[in-house]
Amino acid sequence: MALKGLTGKELAFHIVLYALCAVIFLIIVYPLYFIIIASFSDSTLVSTGKVLLFPKGSSLFGYKEIFQDSRVWIGYRNTLFYTVFGTFVNMLFTMPAAYVLSRKEFKARRPIMFLFVITMFFNGGLIPTYLLMKDLHLTNTFWVFILPFCVNIFFLIIARTFFETALPAELHEAAVMDGCSHFMYFAKVALPLSKALISVIGLYYLVGHWNDFFTGLIYIRDNNLQPLQIVLRDILLSNQVFQNGAGTGGGAASGGYAQRYADQIKYGVIIVSSLPILMLYPFLQKYFEKGVMIGSVKG
Amino acid sequence: MRTRGGGLRTLRRDYQLWIMIAPAIAAVLIFNYIPMYGIQLSFRDFDFSKGLTGGEWRGLDYFRQFIDSYLFSDLMRNTFLISLATIIVGFPAPIILALILNQIRRKRMKTLMQTTVYLPHFISIIVLVGMMNVLMSPETGVIGYMMKGLGLGHINLIASTNTFIPVYVLSDIWQHCGWNSIIYLAALSTVDPQLYDSAKIDGASRWQLIRNVDIPALIPTILILFILSMGNILSTGFEKIFLMQNSLNLPVSEVISTYVYKIGIISNQFSYASAIGLFNTVINFVFLFAMNAISKKMSNTSLY
Amino acid sequence: MRKKVVSFISVLLAATTMMSACSNSGGNNGNGNTNTGSSPTANSSTGTDSGKKVKLTAIMTKHPLTKPLKEMEWLQQVEDKAGVEIEWQEITADWDQKKGTMLASGDVPDLFIGPNVITDADFAQFQGLFQDLSGMLDQAPNVTAMFEAKPETKKIAEQSDGKIFGLPKYQRYWPSTASRMYINQKWLDNLSLSMPTTWDELYDVLVAFKEKDANGNGDPNDEIPMDWPGGIGGYFNAAYLLSGTGMTLTDGSPQGYFVEDGKVKNFLVDERYKTMVTFLNKLNKAGLINPEVFTHDYTKYQSVARGEGDMAKVGFTFGWVASDRFGEQLAPQYTSMSPIKATPDSAVSWSYDYNSLNYGINQIVMSAKSKNKEAVMRFINELYAPDMGMQVLFGSLGPNIKDNGDGSYSVLPPADTKMDPGTWKWTSTMADNGAFYIPDTLQLTLGKDMQEVLEQSKPIDAIQIDVDNDVFPGFLKYSSADNSTMGLNNTNVMNLANTNFAKWVTKGGIESDWDSYVKESEKAGLKQNLEIMQKYYDEYKKQ
Repeated sequence: MALKGLTGKELAFHIVLYALCAVIFLIIVYPLYFIIIASFSDSTLVSTGKVLLFPKGSSLFGYKEIFQDSRVWIGYRNTLFYTVFGTFVNMLFTMPAAYVLSRKEFKARRPIMFLFVITMFFNGGLIPTYLLMKDLHLTNTFWVFILPFCVNIFFLIIARTFFETALPAELHEAAVMDGCSHFMYFAKVALPLSKALISVIGLYYLVGHWNDFFTGLIYIRDNNLQPLQIVLRDILLSNQVFQNGAGTGGGAASGGYAQRYADQIKYGVIIVSSLPILMLYPFLQKYFEKGVMIGSVKG
Repeated sequence: MRTRGGGLRTLRRDYQLWIMIAPAIAAVLIFNYIPMYGIQLSFRDFDFSKGLTGGEWRGLDYFRQFIDSYLFSDLMRNTFLISLATIIVGFPAPIILALILNQIRRKRMKTLMQTTVYLPHFISIIVLVGMMNVLMSPETGVIGYMMKGLGLGHINLIASTNTFIPVYVLSDIWQHCGWNSIIYLAALSTVDPQLYDSAKIDGASRWQLIRNVDIPALIPTILILFILSMGNILSTGFEKIFLMQNSLNLPVSEVISTYVYKIGIISNQFSYASAIGLFNTVINFVFLFAMNAISKKMSNTSLY
Repeated sequence: MRKKVVSFISVLLAATTMMSACSNSGGNNGNGNTNTGSSPTANSSTGTDSGKKVKLTAIMTKHPLTKPLKEMEWLQQVEDKAGVEIEWQEITADWDQKKGTMLASGDVPDLFIGPNVITDADFAQFQGLFQDLSGMLDQAPNVTAMFEAKPETKKIAEQSDGKIFGLPKYQRYWPSTASRMYINQKWLDNLSLSMPTTWDELYDVLVAFKEKDANGNGDPNDEIPMDWPGGIGGYFNAAYLLSGTGMTLTDGSPQGYFVEDGKVKNFLVDERYKTMVTFLNKLNKAGLINPEVFTHDYTKYQSVARGEGDMAKVGFTFGWVASDRFGEQLAPQYTSMSPIKATPDSAVSWSYDYNSLNYGINQIVMSAKSKNKEAVMRFINELYAPDMGMQVLFGSLGPNIKDNGDGSYSVLPPADTKMDPGTWKWTSTMADNGAFYIPDTLQLTLGKDMQEVLEQSKPIDAIQIDVDNDVFPGFLKYSSADNSTMGLNNTNVMNLANTNFAKWVTKGGIESDWDSYVKESEKAGLKQNLEIMQKYYDEYKKQ
């Protein structure tokens, strides 16, 4: 695509656009690059500003330390399961509800929506919630990652708005004419037309599960059930020497040995924990391409 | 249609809809509404031996304690300022980014850009703040070097009361702008390509296309997200501010959430912390309520 | 499309099977507690003979470096001797957050171990949740022995009504202070300066460090004359300079409180503090303090002092021990200092941290809900056995401690030569976080690290401190209400103090702000706190 054939205005637009993109790209990429080189470098050099463009005093100590820990693998396995299964349940609960709330003829939609919105603000606090989970025998089981709060009201609202605005009313009328029930319409028309939405909401839920460490922190006692984030947090903290001050705690303890590599681990942990989910995005991205939906209506 | 048994009739007509929404209602009732009795704790003493709701009734005492507390006005001011700045600068950013990304025609470049901008979202806050400290160090950080190079002098960005909010907000945008733009990109993907084609035939410029086709397509999403963001007016993040605090920026960086943490760790002030939380919630809710009413009146867009 | 669905489902199934396997074991663990309730515990006296061990659950808040408790040989021995089998939940982070929910919901294990794992405030708030041990001590002769040999341990353990919910530790060997002051002797020698003994001399020395290229690398601007971790109060802080005015801090006085001639005071509103801040401002104006002192984190604070190779960067600073503060390579360049006098005729003192370093409060706590209290007591008793204490602290006999055969023992150097002795200790055992008693009669040769600490403490040990009248007792038992009042007040006071301290040091202005600052601090709750603390202090002295 040569720029030759463009009019002056178009050309200016392109120049501005690409310049803008280049700036945004650099601002975002440099710190990310920094994290990567810091994960290989001697952390004393990192924190004194000696590592700017290339790794220095490089070693793989951080990664070795992280992957040496057998809990990391258990954590990966658990998190993978919680994320996949959890997101599946999330979508199962959220999508039909969002569709229902988008139907104007559904009389109860306003009160129900209000009931939902309230919960975005008011909650009973951690202790009553903990007691509830205990009574439901969810504590210290994997279900606690899946079932509670399987409907995120924020995502529900986004999905509802999407259904309201993106699905043409005529489509539903035509479907009703053909004797299409709500079940049919939802499954055969609404969902296939909402790939972009499903990707977005799915991705949001997925990442929510992936990053969740609070559930593990509060409700899980068995180390074999802990998600990756808890494990990595432990590794991270074990290398933060400032915890208790010297003498009584870590300071004197960790000595020069752990100190030198503390930041390597800190930055390495980020890469280990987010790489899998980062690789997911390019696959979902195609659903954001323009005209996906309309194209499929016609096709 | 307004006959007796109309309710029953709509129920029969809509039974499929009820079935579809029933699981969500059940989940919300069980996991969100059952524990709500805990709100009482804001009005009661926490008395372990008498159970969670058995403590002595204290009415609004804990609220009064907060409002009368020494730091109350500072906390409110700081919290408001930080979240207002976050909304004013941070809210439009992902919209603009989405519009820009949407203009890129080359597929490779678009994929690269989109994937890049969303990466920072996955950096944990501990690492983000650690990295900010390294990069913004006036002596040894890249940004410190750059500021010296540009002749901006020797400002310690992480220490000054003047730069705390900008640094907080801009780093927030850096981290979440790309991620938040995903939702707008998805909305833009629903625009009918025919609309572009016909506008182009009418001789519309790129800028006009953005204004007349893209932005209108985003409006419903923008409105809903804006209403929701107003409902967060008193909820600043805790961890990032807490980690960014130092004794030089403390006059502007002490917010409600960090204060609650500090009083909470010293002793288990369950009732007091719960009252402050409820106070927050009520104000947030009032803002959301007002914003929703305005939006409903002006554009017929509403949360509920 | 179908292929995708199929593969998705198979992943799901595989994952489910894996998980159900896990959750089964998890479920059994949970039930373990109730099962043991019905199991016979008649053999309460020794319990060693029968094959049936009593199953217990316990929480240990350990250091993140510490290896899994199951791998500690000494702990296995203790459990065997007590006839118990403990299922440990090992917590390395966020204990406060977990604890609140756990206690409030009453969902607690039989036993807790850790430094102040359950606080006195928790005992007051969660009444009935924890076991009063005072009536059961006859089952734990080793604990009674500690109380007799070291009566202060009993004092630390007892609540005001005589109940005992948590037992302390006694680790005997730690020095009287956590913070030592270091100066770069090599720099002094390079510039032919003598050791500073007063604040004015210190000023001159630091100016020379800054201006005369003290490390001799040709760059006169890379020296940081003075550094501390930041803020005001606590270990390693600039507030230690106050010792040069004759003030005795306690545990570094993190919130400013100290005792002088039997009166509880706070240095944050003391004239001597004002003098010190003025002095620090003078240092700062001359560019002698690390410009990042209020913003750097602990990692950077430590990293900077390690210099580059054998090139030191920091002249004068505070730390636990030289090898930790400056790294093995630079440590020989530094000397630990005596306190620096404010004026040539000032009295000097230091911070007295002996109690908090050698005694730990509430290191082990039993749940009142435990169904096997006798078994728990047996375990506690074995843990406090005279020959077990050193193993809890330094590691098992064999890999970590050598039995010299003549009744004496030596702490062994790390098996991994790359590791320093401190890291080795924390990796191998519960270390300082455990509950134990080391009798004064035990003959144990300490490791290299502890010897270094004790050696470098000598300048401080030379100071006479009136422990009875100038040290704030660390283990007072406040009422629940007083505790929360003081907590809230301190949050406000410290907010004010930190802000102003940083401002005064970097920008000056203490002269004009001082009076209104003192008034503000008192209003923020300082006055009330001093009254409360004085009341408890007086009661303590009467005993």
